[in-house]
Amino acid sequence: MADFIQLFINGLAIGSVYALAAIGFIIVYSATGVVNFAAGQFVMFGTFAGVAALMNFGMPWPVGYAVSLAAMAVFGALFFLLIYLPLRKSAVLTIIIGTVAIGITMQNAAQLTFGSWPFRLPSPLEGIMVDIGGAVIAAHALAVVVVTGVMIALLWLLFYRTSVGIGMRAVAQDVQAARLMGLNVNRLLALSWILAAVLAGVAGLMLGPMWFADVSMGDPIALKAFAATIIGGFGSLPGAIAGGLFVGLTEVLGASYISSAYKDLIAFGIMILFLLVRPQGVFGERIQDRG
Amino acid sequence: MRIPLALAFGIFAIGLVLSAFLSDYNLRLLNLSVIAAVAVIGLNFAFGYAGLISLSHAAFVGMGAYGVAILTTKFGWLPWLAVPVAIGITVVFSALIGFPLLRLRGHYLALATLGLNVAFYIVATNWIELTGGTNGIARIPELSFLGYPLADERSFLWFGLGVLGVLAAGASLIHRSRYGRAMMAVRDDEIASEMTGINTTVVKIAAFALAAGCAAVAGCLFAFHVRFVAPEDFNYAHSITYLAMLIVGGEGSIVGAILGAIVLTFLPEWLRFLGTAYLAFFGLLMLGILIFLPTGIVGLGRFLPWRRPKRPAAILGVRSTEVSS
Repeated sequence: MADFIQLFINGLAIGSVYALAAIGFIIVYSATGVVNFAAGQFVMFGTFAGVAALMNFGMPWPVGYAVSLAAMAVFGALFFLLIYLPLRKSAVLTIIIGTVAIGITMQNAAQLTFGSWPFRLPSPLEGIMVDIGGAVIAAHALAVVVVTGVMIALLWLLFYRTSVGIGMRAVAQDVQAARLMGLNVNRLLALSWILAAVLAGVAGLMLGPMWFADVSMGDPIALKAFAATIIGGFGSLPGAIAGGLFVGLTEVLGASYISSAYKDLIAFGIMILFLLVRPQGVFGERIQDRG
Repeated sequence: MRIPLALAFGIFAIGLVLSAFLSDYNLRLLNLSVIAAVAVIGLNFAFGYAGLISLSHAAFVGMGAYGVAILTTKFGWLPWLAVPVAIGITVVFSALIGFPLLRLRGHYLALATLGLNVAFYIVATNWIELTGGTNGIARIPELSFLGYPLADERSFLWFGLGVLGVLAAGASLIHRSRYGRAMMAVRDDEIASEMTGINTTVVKIAAFALAAGCAAVAGCLFAFHVRFVAPEDFNYAHSITYLAMLIVGGEGSIVGAILGAIVLTFLPEWLRFLGTAYLAFFGLLMLGILIFLPTGIVGLGRFLPWRRPKRPAAILGVRSTEVSS
């Protein structure tokens, strides 16, 4: 039982990171219609922003975290200006390939800056263990789950209780109508990219201490985030959360109870099954709406 | 009939001239680009004509390559016996998986096929008894054609060019036939083409299976050229590369498919002076092509003096329906 609790919480922690990455992906997708294949590289940039701030510049924790997230916000704004705006009128696949291309560039840029050796990004809760029902759990894993919960609550407040968030939802629903209502559409679209980049930054900072910070970590995260969004439902925020947690749990529990070699196949097998049987996912939009 | 023949003959003639003076290393790259071109011509059926975003093309190339590798090394089959069986298995598999999968559209199909490619990679890495896992399968026998062993790069190139020429001509014939037009009709408007009596499900599955068949041919060529297969060569990143080749060359165009395959295979060589920064530049270059040259390299053909249209509106209109998806 103790083993199970430990695995369960570790699965939730990894799943929280996937959920945050998936939320960032969904926010961009609903606002702009862009399927961002560089989403995993966003998380990788978040981790390495932390590596640069905390390890290379030796900033204290709060400052380092704030600086990393600010850097991610700037990055999101730049991405909007330099990648999204020039490509926004192109066909779906052109944009997909465009985000793939920029993802390759991002990974290579990180490799040129940080080298291909993995880093071990420390956590402020380094070495602290908590005992729950006989299971010893790293405090960092618990903190990840809590921080993710707080982030989700903040997002809910943003989207449902502030005019900016309601504007972002309006843009996601219908750009033309939002523009006619007098909303500054471009600013709201830029904000979606910035929000996605910051969420990826949070995910990256939390993931760093759990995995090694490696410049090639982006692709596996992107694939898991895609699986999470399909299972939860494309375009749905609760779906991204449920899907992310589900993928994290199947990965950790599947690896120890079923097969560590095929642990990724379980999540992707379920994803393909969902696509075939219920493509709108658990919480998703009706597929005809976006076909 | 004239244009497909001219296309096949042109490919062969240009390749033959090149093979006379290129170094062995460049010949090897040319071989790899011919193999990629075979795969991309296939992808052009699925994506260029039928508009199906397939990110599992590398998996089908891998099925062809692994099929040949397993049949020749584990079961001791003759190469020429293994090739049709490997291609047949791939085509049948793609049609079976296409039946449920092709109900999806747009990015749903993209992610589903991406998942398929990831699944293929995981199985190829972990089914060690059959695929040798990450060590792959070595010692694939060499292919001989009409009694001549295709042992060196030059003779393999001639053979590869022959295959590419035949496939390009065949693809061009299909492009001109009612089947090709049916695919493009499904791409442009599925409901309207259903109204005219086209069985859209069959057309989509046919395009997908044709694409997989060409991919399997490329996989067989790859297996006999490199004579070693490992999962890494059929990773989903390669599926994205095939799509990138098609888009850089010009989607919906056979010449574009070939040009894209050649350019993206040789690009790492041409950019070698950049050292480790090559990939960063490569990504930006791709992005630049997507933004500034949305119809790919063949789109530049408009600027050739003999292609300057007499009545711009009409001719450009035709081009744009052919190229846009």
